[in-house]
Amino acid sequence: MSQKVLDALTAALPGAVVRTGSAHGDEIAWIKREELVPAATWLRDDPKMLFDAPVFCTCIDWLDWKPVGRPVAEYWNETKPRFTVAYQLRSTTHKHRLRLEIELPENDARLPSLADLWPAFNWQERETFDMYGIRFDGHPDLRRIYLYEEFVGYPLRKDYPKEKRQPLVRRDDLPINPIKGPHAGEHK
Amino acid sequence: MTEATDKVTLTIDGQSITVPKGTNVLEAAKLLGNDISAFCYHPGLPIVAQCRQCLVSIEKNPKLQPSCQQVVGEGMVVHTTDPQSTLARKQQLEFTLVNHPIDCPICDKAGECTLQKLYFDHDNADSRVDTAKVHKAKVVDLGPTIVLDQERCILCSRCIRTCDVVAGQHQLEFANRGDHEILTTAPGEQLDNPYSLNTVDVCPVGALTAKDFRFTMRAWELEATPSVCNGCATGCNIEIHHKNERAWRLVPRLNAEVNQYWMCDEGRTTYHPLREERLASAIVDGLPASWDKAIQAAAKRLGVFLKDASQVGVVLSALCSNEDNYALAKLAKAWGAGHVYVAGKPPVPARADGKLRVADVNPNATGVKAICEALGLNPIATYELDRGVPANLRALVVLGDVVPGLDATKLKELEVISLAAHERGPVPHARVALPIAAWAETGATTTNHKGLVQRMHAAFAPPGAAIAGWDAVVRLAAATGQKLAWTHPRDVFKDMTQTVVAWKDLAWQRDVRPLALRFAGSRG
Amino acid sequence: MAPITDGQSLKQLVLGRKDVQDMSDTEADLPPDLMTVNMGPSHPAMHGTVRIVLTVDGEKIVKGDVQPGYLHRCFEKESEYATYTQVFPYTDRLNYVSPMINNCGWAMAVEKLMGLTGKLPRRAEYVRVIVSEMSRITDHLTCVGASAMELGAFTPFLYLLKCREWLYQLLEKVSGARLTHSYVRVGGVSKDLPDGFAAELLGCLDKIASVMVECESLLNNNKIFRDRMAGIGKLTKEDAIKTGCVGPIARAAGVDYDVRRDYPYSIYPEVEFDVPLGTTGDCYDRYLVRIEELKQSMRILRQCFAQIPDGPVMSDDHRVTLPAKGATYNTIESMIRHFKHIVDGVRVPAGEGYAFLEGGNGELGFFVVADGTGRPYKAYCRSPSFVHLSTAEMLFKDHFIADVVPIFGMINMIGGECDK
Repeated sequence: MSQKVLDALTAALPGAVVRTGSAHGDEIAWIKREELVPAATWLRDDPKMLFDAPVFCTCIDWLDWKPVGRPVAEYWNETKPRFTVAYQLRSTTHKHRLRLEIELPENDARLPSLADLWPAFNWQERETFDMYGIRFDGHPDLRRIYLYEEFVGYPLRKDYPKEKRQPLVRRDDLPINPIKGPHAGEHK
Repeated sequence: MTEATDKVTLTIDGQSITVPKGTNVLEAAKLLGNDISAFCYHPGLPIVAQCRQCLVSIEKNPKLQPSCQQVVGEGMVVHTTDPQSTLARKQQLEFTLVNHPIDCPICDKAGECTLQKLYFDHDNADSRVDTAKVHKAKVVDLGPTIVLDQERCILCSRCIRTCDVVAGQHQLEFANRGDHEILTTAPGEQLDNPYSLNTVDVCPVGALTAKDFRFTMRAWELEATPSVCNGCATGCNIEIHHKNERAWRLVPRLNAEVNQYWMCDEGRTTYHPLREERLASAIVDGLPASWDKAIQAAAKRLGVFLKDASQVGVVLSALCSNEDNYALAKLAKAWGAGHVYVAGKPPVPARADGKLRVADVNPNATGVKAICEALGLNPIATYELDRGVPANLRALVVLGDVVPGLDATKLKELEVISLAAHERGPVPHARVALPIAAWAETGATTTNHKGLVQRMHAAFAPPGAAIAGWDAVVRLAAATGQKLAWTHPRDVFKDMTQTVVAWKDLAWQRDVRPLALRFAGSRG
Repeated sequence: MAPITDGQSLKQLVLGRKDVQDMSDTEADLPPDLMTVNMGPSHPAMHGTVRIVLTVDGEKIVKGDVQPGYLHRCFEKESEYATYTQVFPYTDRLNYVSPMINNCGWAMAVEKLMGLTGKLPRRAEYVRVIVSEMSRITDHLTCVGASAMELGAFTPFLYLLKCREWLYQLLEKVSGARLTHSYVRVGGVSKDLPDGFAAELLGCLDKIASVMVECESLLNNNKIFRDRMAGIGKLTKEDAIKTGCVGPIARAAGVDYDVRRDYPYSIYPEVEFDVPLGTTGDCYDRYLVRIEELKQSMRILRQCFAQIPDGPVMSDDHRVTLPAKGATYNTIESMIRHFKHIVDGVRVPAGEGYAFLEGGNGELGFFVVADGTGRPYKAYCRSPSFVHLSTAEMLFKDHFIADVVPIFGMINMIGGECDK
């Protein structure tokens, strides 16, 4: 449906677009990591694009990707990028939608943050970092959002076992002995 | 274009693929993710094209061809999704299901049944049959290991071919005709060859079920961890199917070099001892004790004799992994131990049948030999102790629980420190017994009779306070003043492969995550 | 009153950890430092456990550090181990005041990947819309009622919850549970509406309409309510779009976006409804938008019942439907199909897709990556509450501590949806 968007993007920023595709009515553009911010800025500001509404930001871990019914060549192996970060955008004026996907290798899972362009991605990138360990360069406040700070590991990665336990952590911002109030010691 | 290559390019459903010459169309389609459904085809068995489930349309060929038998040809154009092939597949499944009993809730194969999978993937139509199904015998005792349900059998003949090819004995065959055709034993035969349980693996439905496994655990609950069988020196590659920290069955894993798709029946039962007589806590003087106390006690007793190391002996085990043996051998060398023995079960010549079973029932005799040679140790078989214990042997550190030649009377005279997984053999007579993990509970390697070093993966944690054998040796070494700086089996492996020259190019394989069978679809 | 022990004065306890001797006389009465006040996670006004660490200058909020995640229950990780149908109970517990809408959203995502969108029986689509709109009404009733109560208006809370109770009882008749329905299935809904449902629900809607009149008369021009809600938590249209706000919050700010009208799905093209828009984007506008949406939902429900056809409520596509019990027990084909549906799940061909609908809080979407098996490879929930909660800090700025309550209430942050 928004094939025009993909065509315009490929025409305007050919160096940024690795490939485009359409699946089940969704338009997807794979963008090179280095060109992500220029491409995103153009998508937001160009009058024919005007992708002003951020929808979501998430990550896909391809480690266990062995799709049934697809050729064996499509299975994941170490030569392929392990993570794909997906940003979904929407335009309130033109009503078209687009998904940007950026492929990242396992040992270098970082990409520039889009939190300055769309403030909604601030928290969503924090969530992606929390769950997958993707670092967003330039993010104003990249820390865990759902999980507590002492959590070890990135749970939505495929090699994090669901049953794994984490040690209990004492909260160190609370006093060890509570402050005694005026009636301390009265109840036995 | 004529090129002297051994690759062929063909087109399946519009997708081009290049495969080695001699591949059949079914396998070529699998590489494209196209499962053309088949029952009687098995890559390790002769092709009979009997089930007609894999029929496909090939251009320039007026009739449908069985893709399992059709060898790829250069430029061949195959269609699997055209109406003719699709209808043939659906109709074949319909025929197969006409007399199939409604046994899924009680059938062992449910969850890993090829018939279920293919029906759901390729047919999924309602039944058109309203007549009573043909009844056949439901619980036929085929032999000591297998029960047959004749109604479930879809007459694919995989089991017949398995017995013929893998075991070399013709023990199964079909009888009667039409829809009364049944699987039965050959005249005068029972299904008692030592490879009979492979027929349960290859059977695409629940017709053949193992007496050992039936009704014990549902297939989709299991998790599979790759490992190596510890039943004999062949070292068949297996998968341990486990759940809730216990193993429920062992099945073979493909290894073209060692065991192809098969393993013997004795190897399949080697998971039972994992839960028998397990030593779960350290024992000092017959009473359970903590690891620290036990190590201290062992070091104290050994310390007395280590002053003159010729009084100390060490028994390596051909039933334990390379890492455990290497650790203990290295410690023996560091002590300067005067006596080094190797223990193993006596050979069973009747086993050697030229197929998978060999006479040597110890999984790691070759490995122990290689390790001792590399370290310059000259181990003596413990049978020699039958003739008499050497006069200056006073203390013995024994790895493993099988020590032929050392009976109770001899053990009483010696100071025995035992590192074992099971509480039998020398363990009840030992001064200190340290519990170690069995073969399925730790990441380790073992060497088969051809010198191939294979990696075993841990399926679950060892029981109680047991730890890996090499880890116990490290603790013992530290307590007796020797330093073995290993904290991970990879460290032991690295040290070992640098010492044993033949193994210097081997790399430690990372731990694999167990595969939940419910994610794996059907194995058939 | 006995003197406070431990060398600490009451002032010190209340005002923070400053040593009293170091403060000047005026300072000791009014310390100029910023103070940190903790709200939540266990707090009556922090719906669904959220912790806000407010840095305040007196009563004025300087900074609010909103910390969600106390209700994180690993929806995405659990979904990877469950079949597509087993995920429905998990979706119930996402936005737990409008669970039917979550169910429908998940079903839509799976159907999109299977190519079943638009191929469901008409009656199934109508039933889905009916229960979704009922859920939307319960969502708005809860939000408005709870917010009113937190501002001191207890009576409207009880009146609105009485309405909600009628709807819950009807939903219980439909699905068997008041809140955790798991009613929708891939390919339709699990069972048809019970007999006499239409009459009951329409009667209920009439009753709700009259209760709404009462509540509006209690709240709309109530000085206390208006003073506490009007002009509080203003959100401009540009900010609303940039920060990803959708649903009643965005519409209150003037953003004309409603998924049911702009990207129509199911049978929404066949029903008429208006989309209320606000102007200032403050809490009072959000309240009015929700009330009006509630009335529009009732309008949609009446139209649905006028138009709903007879027929099956589940697709007859064998890839998604369980066979009938009689066939399951008597034919091997149906037995196998039933078995594979339960154990393996609905097979979805490999691919990725994002399906979204209008939830109680706005655009609720599910991004699913399928790998050809019956279990999702990845199931991501785009939860509007999470996005809206990220605007909270911006909305709190320069307001008083007491304003946190109406702002937070009108964001309608549902803990289950926010934390997943």
